Amino acid sequence: MKKKVYFVLAFVLAIFLLAGPATAKEIKVLSQFPMSGPVGSLPEFGWGYIDGMNWVNNEGGGVNGKKITWFLEDFRYNPTVEVANFTRYCAEHSKDELLMATGYITGGLKPLIEKVNKEEKIPWLDGSYSTEIFGEKGGPSKYPYYYSLGATYGNQIRALIKWIKENHKAKGKPRVGFVYSPTAWGRDGTPEGIAYARKLGFDVVAEIEYPYTATSATNECMTLRKKKAQYVIFHGYSGASACTAIFFKTAKKIVKNIQLMGTHYTTSRFAILTSQEAYNGYVGVATRPFSDPIPRASYPKDNAMVKLAHDFAQKYRPDEYKKGLRGGIKDIFLYIEGLTYAFMIQKTLTDADNMGELTREGVKKALDNMVWDFKGMFGGKKFSYKSHTIPMLQIFKGKVKMVKMGDKMVPTGGVLPITDWINTDEVKW
Amino acid sequence: MIDLIQTLGSGILVGLVYALLGLCIVIIFKASEAFNFAIGEFLILGSFLFYVLFFNESLPWHRALPLGVLIFLFFSYVLFFDIDLNFLIAVPLGIAAGLLIFCFLFFGLKLPSLITSPLIRFMIALPLGLLAAGIVGSMVERLTIKPLLGRSPISMTIVSLGLGFFLRGCIQLIWGSHSYSFFLDLPDITIEIGDLLYLSDPIWAGILSLLTFGLVIVFLFRTRWGLAIRATSEDQSKAMAFGINARFILMIVWAISALCIAVAGIMISNFGALQVGMSYVGLRAIPVVLIGGMDSIGGALVGGIIVGICEALAGSYIEPMGLVGFKEVAPYLLLLIVLFIRPYGLFGTVRIERV
Repeated sequence: MKKKVYFVLAFVLAIFLLAGPATAKEIKVLSQFPMSGPVGSLPEFGWGYIDGMNWVNNEGGGVNGKKITWFLEDFRYNPTVEVANFTRYCAEHSKDELLMATGYITGGLKPLIEKVNKEEKIPWLDGSYSTEIFGEKGGPSKYPYYYSLGATYGNQIRALIKWIKENHKAKGKPRVGFVYSPTAWGRDGTPEGIAYARKLGFDVVAEIEYPYTATSATNECMTLRKKKAQYVIFHGYSGASACTAIFFKTAKKIVKNIQLMGTHYTTSRFAILTSQEAYNGYVGVATRPFSDPIPRASYPKDNAMVKLAHDFAQKYRPDEYKKGLRGGIKDIFLYIEGLTYAFMIQKTLTDADNMGELTREGVKKALDNMVWDFKGMFGGKKFSYKSHTIPMLQIFKGKVKMVKMGDKMVPTGGVLPITDWINTDEVKW
Repeated sequence: MIDLIQTLGSGILVGLVYALLGLCIVIIFKASEAFNFAIGEFLILGSFLFYVLFFNESLPWHRALPLGVLIFLFFSYVLFFDIDLNFLIAVPLGIAAGLLIFCFLFFGLKLPSLITSPLIRFMIALPLGLLAAGIVGSMVERLTIKPLLGRSPISMTIVSLGLGFFLRGCIQLIWGSHSYSFFLDLPDITIEIGDLLYLSDPIWAGILSLLTFGLVIVFLFRTRWGLAIRATSEDQSKAMAFGINARFILMIVWAISALCIAVAGIMISNFGALQVGMSYVGLRAIPVVLIGGMDSIGGALVGGIIVGICEALAGSYIEPMGLVGFKEVAPYLLLLIVLFIRPYGLFGTVRIERV
């Protein structure tokens, strides 16, 4: 009889021991990027994220040794898909396990306000720099679970205005024109920028909506010429868009002496490739270090994150790195985005685990208390997530030269930093 | 006054490009009563074909080879079935065409290393690029439109919608979706008189669009082929009764249309950059043809200029009054007004249907 009891006890114990790991709480994270759709084919986001998460789970040590179960979705730049994916994952995974989610566009943030901040209460990292969501009128008090990975567009434009104020040498007030896309993106931050320019005593001589579908920028540039604008802030466009090249090429011919300026996505490698010499002298803001000059071989190695990203890409994606524009990593900037999400997820979850609170609330606390240098991304400077944005930005200047390569004239150069990293939370606008 | 002249001039120059887009819609509509919604994709495709030749952009073998095979099959088919050549002549000619295209795509035309002058290079690459665009246009017609002959024109219109998606996918597959820099570096003919300024690129665009428009008109009204096209447009069955190969004519019409769209695409790409996402530009043809009249070649010219001027005037005079973004809407507003007064457009044929 005793034997039987021992046997049953041993059996039950074995079941408990075996079932233990199987039923242990998993750490799950959902990430979504626009890897295809109207913005084109951008697998680099996914490549960076996959390489980053694989590194995190292996060489990176996971979350204090625990592996992260990560999900990656391509939402095709469609907010409806982003919302639907998130809703599906929330239904399929328990609140105890799905601890964080990431998204990429304002269009997805808006319909999810209630779901994320009130129903699910899940920390959400986003690629949106929306002033409306993350600026003074939004922010942590209104959207406690939303976090952005960059300074708001309003602050980006203000930083440019401030730069003008500090560097304006001509007589009289600076005469500035605003050119923005008729999209939620283009309209976001522009009113704050205009208000700030007026506050500093600038003449705001033009506010022009220049559409993505433009085939000509002659009228817009002639307006800037008539109004004798000295600076133009070009906002709400990707550097890769044809309309950006149309504007830059036309502006360089019609308003030769105007200072072209722009926000994060215009400060990019593709703008150099498509606008070529017209991009020379451009002054723009970026929330990440510039990482991809032309040719790629001459990338600046003084930024730790830039070096890390190139090392990662070369190690884990040697073919894609080599192929570059021919079906490979076209722009390291996109790869860096995916990679930084992975690093941020690891850092947040590890902090939460260290606090002994590996829950959604614990993750939120970890983000709110975070003070981090983001693996040296901001030249060693640390940021805090108090404003729920990574408030860092830097101002760059385009330096482009045409050189003969084989039988072609090709642009070479990049954008070089002309200021130190600026913490917009510390600036009094 | 100077402002007005500046605005009108800029509007006319862009309008001439729109007119060319309108012409492409009109000639297809006249020949088959179908509306080609894939115009934007043809625009991008034509520009890419020119780009390959002008900028010596070669393709990897796994992309060039299928295209070469496609050309071989198409040429063999057309030469054997449409031109009634002997099989032993049609197939080798098809192979030669396929091989030629493969070599062009794989090795590149090496024009930049052979010819340094951008103008001469342009003058060589343009006809070759347009020829390629024309061939693609006729191929598309053979594969998608010909099987629908005799059916309702609405079927062709719907097919053209799907065709647009298909072509866009093919372009992305071959050339990717990123932007390509596009600098033709044609001789600078900028006009600057006091405050009046017309940039070189739009002037070139206007000149080339007008020239292409003129050539198409000459072809349609001064050649035997043009006569056959016009006869087919009037009445397909009667034209066939007179011995005209209406099916072949329809292919020629699609080829001419694709060729003209390519000219417009090249000019527009030269303003900025070349990108698959630019296909929306083709939709500018809609107000152009509806204002000018769906079946009027002259109407396409007038419609194009009207749309160009309308956009320019709205951008220069109405938007600064606070109506930001009005430039985009203005041509459609004008279109509504025109359609209220003349439902068939300014120069469209008024149809009386007896029931």
